Amino acid sequence: MTAPLRIKNMEKSIDDFHLNIKDLTFETGTITAVVGMNGAGKSTFFKMIMNLVKQDTGTIEVFGQSVTDQSDSWKGLVAYQSQTLTGCEPFTGEQVRNLMAKIYPDWDEALFRSFSQKLQIPLNKQIQKLSPGVKTKLNLALNFGKNTPLLILDEPTAAMDIPSKNYFIQFLLDLMERGDKTILIASHQADDIKKLADYLLFIDKGQVSNLLEKDSLASTYRLFWLKEEPPITLIPGEIKRTYKRVILSNQPEATVAYLSKSSLTIVDEEIPDLEEIIQEVLTKGEIIYA
Amino acid sequence: MKLPIRLSKSSREPIYHQIENQIKTLIASGQLITGDPLPSIRVLAKELEISSITIRKAYQNLEYNGFIQTSQGKGTFVAEVDPDMKAHMASQEVEEAILKAISTAKQHELSNEEILTMFKSLLQKEEKR
Repeated sequence: MTAPLRIKNMEKSIDDFHLNIKDLTFETGTITAVVGMNGAGKSTFFKMIMNLVKQDTGTIEVFGQSVTDQSDSWKGLVAYQSQTLTGCEPFTGEQVRNLMAKIYPDWDEALFRSFSQKLQIPLNKQIQKLSPGVKTKLNLALNFGKNTPLLILDEPTAAMDIPSKNYFIQFLLDLMERGDKTILIASHQADDIKKLADYLLFIDKGQVSNLLEKDSLASTYRLFWLKEEPPITLIPGEIKRTYKRVILSNQPEATVAYLSKSSLTIVDEEIPDLEEIIQEVLTKGEIIYA
Repeated sequence: MKLPIRLSKSSREPIYHQIENQIKTLIASGQLITGDPLPSIRVLAKELEISSITIRKAYQNLEYNGFIQTSQGKGTFVAEVDPDMKAHMASQEVEEAILKAISTAKQHELSNEEILTMFKSLLQKEEKR
């Protein structure tokens, strides 16, 4: 089966910003969280997939079709929720819905209605009069309605209230259960990443990581609480030290070997919280980049 | 149904293995019986906040070993498990718990004699309750 999304040898420079991806393939039925600091290039990356920003070199294929080809039939296979609903402001949600339902052959009215109703989106109000949070909800409802096999979501929960966020997560899970969907989601919300993601993709100043399976990534980190204070010099695997005796390691086996050789006692140990790992990767992640 | 699975972040046992073993224990102890539905891979991944890839691995192993069955479109269910297997699982679980207690005792530098004495007195106490 053709992968929903495949990117090869892609490069893009905008002024002093460079984005490059050697080889990335997103498989059917997976959710990938795209993680990076503000301005890291997440939205640019998404726009390139949608051919809204042209790459300098390389190929981007949606279900085997290059997005820069003359034919744009691939557009019916991917829904993209951008951070704004550009060009729609003078219209109502209902009017935009009518347009989308005509363009997208697999438009799913039930999906659109259930999401809109549950989140109480006012579909008869002019979009420019909606609050940012409600605009995002409408944007999502419209993209869910498109019922495409590939979904790209750019910070969907950024302005959302808690009940809506929870409903959104549940909605995405139900969507995944119904069929062969593939989702890319850029988010700064730890909850989205923990509850939804299978893979993490880090973007840092235009540098893009490999696809990292969430639990494998987590298991490469370990926090150790020691009984005695270790020497002040860096010990094997150590990437951070707090309270003099708490060591964060990204090579747990090397750390354990060193500690036992040096007769330093481990009082307790655990896999750190995903948020802490993301923090480490984004502030000094060197191992991640291919 | 929500499964009472508690993942230990401090254990060195891989997560998929923890899930596998805890579901086996639930089956061996009769908390899950033949035909009981298990949560879908996605739902369990969300509840435990781990990737669906890890859950799939655990489910695949459980299915391979005959503890659960997946039927297309219907979901995953507890399979009919051999009573001998259940008994074996149960004794294995108790053994593990006792081994853990022994290792805690050794950490506190208790002698075998002291561990035995403590074990016996706790057994007596438990019987009187």
